[in-house]
Amino acid sequence: MSALPVVSASPVARPATATRASGSAAAGWSKALRVVFALVAVAVAWEAAVVVFSIKPHYLPRLSLVLQAIAATPDAYVSGFLRTLAESLIGFASGALFGVGIGIVFFRVPVLRDMIFPIFIVSQTIPVIAFGALVVLWFGNTLLAKAIIAFYVTFFPVTVNTLLGLRSVDPRQEALMKSFGATRGQLMRQLQLPTALPQIFVALRLGASLSLVGAIVGEWFGDTTGLGVLLLQAMFNENAVGLWAALLMCALLGTLFYGVVAWVERRLVFWGAEQ
Amino acid sequence: MTVAATTEPLLDMRGIRKTFGNVTALAGLDVAIAPGELVTVVGPSGCGKSTLFNIVAGLDEPDDGGILRFEGRSCLASELLGRVSFMPQRDLLLPWRTVIDNAILAIEIEGMPRAEARAQALRMLPEFGLAGFENQYPHQLSGGMRQRVALMRTFMFKRDLMLLDEPFGALDALTRTMMQRWLLEVWQKHRRTILFITHDVDEAIFLGDRVLAMTARPGKIKLELPIDLPRPRRPELLTDPAFISLKRQLLDAIEEESMKSFQSADARAVSA
Repeated sequence: MSALPVVSASPVARPATATRASGSAAAGWSKALRVVFALVAVAVAWEAAVVVFSIKPHYLPRLSLVLQAIAATPDAYVSGFLRTLAESLIGFASGALFGVGIGIVFFRVPVLRDMIFPIFIVSQTIPVIAFGALVVLWFGNTLLAKAIIAFYVTFFPVTVNTLLGLRSVDPRQEALMKSFGATRGQLMRQLQLPTALPQIFVALRLGASLSLVGAIVGEWFGDTTGLGVLLLQAMFNENAVGLWAALLMCALLGTLFYGVVAWVERRLVFWGAEQ
Repeated sequence: MTVAATTEPLLDMRGIRKTFGNVTALAGLDVAIAPGELVTVVGPSGCGKSTLFNIVAGLDEPDDGGILRFEGRSCLASELLGRVSFMPQRDLLLPWRTVIDNAILAIEIEGMPRAEARAQALRMLPEFGLAGFENQYPHQLSGGMRQRVALMRTFMFKRDLMLLDEPFGALDALTRTMMQRWLLEVWQKHRRTILFITHDVDEAIFLGDRVLAMTARPGKIKLELPIDLPRPRRPELLTDPAFISLKRQLLDAIEEESMKSFQSADARAVSA
């Protein structure tokens, strides 16, 4: 190997990893800055529109009033935020785990899939409101009941996408792994599950939003804390400022939730949708 | 080079036939490969090269009636799975694994601890022109480098027979000739038996101890051409009169077959 035609045949120069990393960090900061700028712009437009067009507070209160309302009684909003966060997080996490697990089982045992999958579909045609009433009847006004509703709306998309992702494995890739003597477990861990990961994350992002909806709907059946409770109270009292305050908190929670899932996705599925 | 006639062949296939529904892909295929030999297979497109590949790789079973022997014992094609290290046309690297972890995939699955496998791979990287790239991911590499990673994975999975299916088919001409010379160097050092499938006549002659030209479908061996050109093979060889005359023979054989498959396709189109 002294001639080494190979070295000259490497069309790719040694990539400058360090510069690229710092470059992407800078890009990330400028992106974050743009988002902050857009938020500030919307806030200013909101405030200005209410004053300029003299919109009645009943329709749209000034943003500063809404923020003041939150600042006046922060405990109610913080505890509501945490409560709803806990409900949707527990439901989401268990729904995600169950969805991936059952997706793998369905992939491995097609008979089971043919038997149970239709039942899953029927279960998903029941409106979450109707299902929520039943769950509250069974489990009472507990955190568990809300988590179960969040679970119910999360697990199905995750199951479907896990199955879809596992089936998208290139059969040639599978043949290659088998030629190395891969067992079924190795095939799953080394090939099938990583291949399915991008698909699974599509469902997880969806599930993050849906589980929040599930938790809030669950709270409407009666509870004392939670963002859903704050929404309902504000509505009954025709308290527009309170309603907008609760809405803002919901938006914050939803964005946070989605952002975390998307962040984890970028870390785990760093190779993108290649192949 | 009559190695195949004098020693016990590593792989011996006789009268191999394979049909898919009413399509006969292979019929009466005879192939024998001696240990340490580099045999190349060329043929017109759709001649059943891939079917041959799949049988030798152990992915497809030939029809009953043929003889398939490996290391002197008759066996089923499925028994070859895991005893032949093969490399398909696409590199099939796992995008979530680094260069080094892709290279050790096979031996890691075999049960070697990851640290040990990595150490072994690290020593081989320079030979494959991948030194310094061990922590890169496949999407950061050029096509030629990806193929070298795939070849390294195949080499690390130490089996007596290596089966390569147009490994350089997707590369540009310049990179391809580099890779061919490099493959010969690696082969001469490690002395593995290689069955190399290609559609490139130059490549087949440049690399092979013997070239097997296949007929149009149903595929069998039309011409077996020993390549008595000296090794190591230099790029100048491509314009050597001896090389040209071998190429002429091969091209004539293949062209005749290409015409046949072309005409039969025409005939089918007319009758349909």
